[in-house]
Amino acid sequence: MSKPIIYVVDDDVSVCRALSLLLKSHGFEVETFNRAKDFLTFKHFKRASCLVLDVELPDINGFAMQEPMLAQQLFIPIVFITGHGSIPMSVKAMRGGAVDFLAKPFTDKELLAAIDRAIAKNKIQNKEQAELTKIAEFIKTLSPTELEVFRLVASGMANKQIAYKRGIVLQTVKVHRSRVMQKLRAKNVTELIRLAEKAKIIPAQK
Amino acid sequence: MLDKGSIISNISDQLRIKRQESARGKTHNELSNTVNSQADALKVKNVQIKQWADKEQRAEAQIHIRTKAMDAATDGIFIIDVKNKDFSVIYSNQAFQTMVGYSRKDIIGKNYFLLYADIADLRIAEEIKNTLQKDESFQGEMLNFRKNGDKFWNYLRISCVRDVNGVVTHYVGIQTDVTLMRRKDFEIKEQREELLHVTRVGKLAEFVSSLAHEISQPLTSILSYAQAAYRMLEGKDSQLQEILQYIINDDQRAAEVIRRLRSLLKKSDPEVKPIDINKLINETIELMATDVTVRNKVIKIALEPKLPNINGDRIQLQQVLLNLISNSLDAMEGRDEFRELSIRTSLNGSEEIIVEVKDSGCGIPKENMKKLFSHFFTSKPDGLGMGLSISRSIIEAHGGRLEVKNNPEGGAIFYFTIPVGGGVKEWS
Repeated sequence: MSKPIIYVVDDDVSVCRALSLLLKSHGFEVETFNRAKDFLTFKHFKRASCLVLDVELPDINGFAMQEPMLAQQLFIPIVFITGHGSIPMSVKAMRGGAVDFLAKPFTDKELLAAIDRAIAKNKIQNKEQAELTKIAEFIKTLSPTELEVFRLVASGMANKQIAYKRGIVLQTVKVHRSRVMQKLRAKNVTELIRLAEKAKIIPAQK
Repeated sequence: MLDKGSIISNISDQLRIKRQESARGKTHNELSNTVNSQADALKVKNVQIKQWADKEQRAEAQIHIRTKAMDAATDGIFIIDVKNKDFSVIYSNQAFQTMVGYSRKDIIGKNYFLLYADIADLRIAEEIKNTLQKDESFQGEMLNFRKNGDKFWNYLRISCVRDVNGVVTHYVGIQTDVTLMRRKDFEIKEQREELLHVTRVGKLAEFVSSLAHEISQPLTSILSYAQAAYRMLEGKDSQLQEILQYIINDDQRAAEVIRRLRSLLKKSDPEVKPIDINKLINETIELMATDVTVRNKVIKIALEPKLPNINGDRIQLQQVLLNLISNSLDAMEGRDEFRELSIRTSLNGSEEIIVEVKDSGCGIPKENMKKLFSHFFTSKPDGLGMGLSISRSIIEAHGGRLEVKNNPEGGAIFYFTIPVGGGVKEWS
């Protein structure tokens, strides 16, 4: 497995260089940016990663970065670093994608621990993302009727109800249903419902 | 037949009678003349007596009305006879009695200075005596005591009363109880000082915060450089590693100093309450009244009546107003042709209140417009450059904006908005 990549965004060139050296000495690959814009226009690797982001950037407030990142489907956990002593409550409340807040100056231990948590979170995120992509690909192979049957089964309808609703023979429903199971690699109805929830084909159950 | 002898005696008798009659008539005339002239004199006297009586009556009436007037006066009035070396009071009016708490009986004949008992400041008494003995009048403010021991501030004026020859015969004193005025002045002074203190602390906090931020940047890189180097030297050079460890320790020591300084100057949480902004403006102007008068400036206000209340922190908003007003005064400093500062409030739709502070100074040079609100930017020789940046932070925390524009007719206009029914965020 390739080395996780750490993105560092700080307007202070020396801080960027120092963090880069430090993280590289711990075996990470590092990319540094002095402006938020440079980071947002960078072509990101599809790899476990973490963003170490300065809150006080000249072109954009670090906290406001989450929005353009989401818009670009850039799901990278953020470790905020700030030169202001405290983090305002209003900001803590919107932790969103952020994993940690570190007040400058911080030790390597603090930074590495925060990065570890971020990467662990990113791995889960990536795994989920990969699964979603897989499910989406499977769903794409369904015919329109199969997709409809999938939706109805997942929403809890029995075969007979589906046959009645669609005006088709029960046997046909059964055929469609087994094809759906096959194409989606689902072993049972429970799994089918889980897939439907993940793909947002039916609303998530509480 | 009458004999010759009897005829003669008859004639002589008649002659005697005539003589007697004539003498009587003369006496009568004399007498009546005397009586007449005496009656005339009496008449004159009578007129004189009547005149005297009228004069006396008028004088009495005048004394009466003067006494009444003295008693109606709201200042304490008293008269001291110079002949009495011990400054004894020969007259005092009603207000004087009320002020000192003694009855007229207690006062008349007593030494003026001893009236305030042994707690009165004797040095002031000496000063007054010395001034008066030089035939000059005295004027001063002092702390005195009433009969019941209550303190009061006495604004006392004593001057000399002279006779026709210019010799001082009496002293007349007027005294005013200025305790309430003093207290009000004191309250205003206290409020001003509190506000100034808050402003100073705010400036210092903002200053420390900016400084801490600037320093924390190099501290971050130094720490990371040292820790990276330390790691790179793992198992290679323990002596250099030891040195790096010292660097790391001292970096953290510096960071700790900053942390402590920050927590020391931590801003207190804003106290949010409904505020009548017009009232707040009037109060702030009152706090600055002396400053404005001394600088020979005039504040004109045009406040929109019946503005809705806003939610905010009084002290913080007052700090902003104070800052804007004193900036405006500074802008007009030393220029008598620019005197007028105006403050206006208005309602923008139903969402926000606008407060405008307009001076008639020289306006803001274009190149300064952008930098105006940044930390440490100042155009004053003794300025810190924190006022406007703090003010902007405060207004933004209240959900509003603080902006500036130049008045086409001259001078600068600073204005801020506060949303109606907004709240306050924590600000840093």
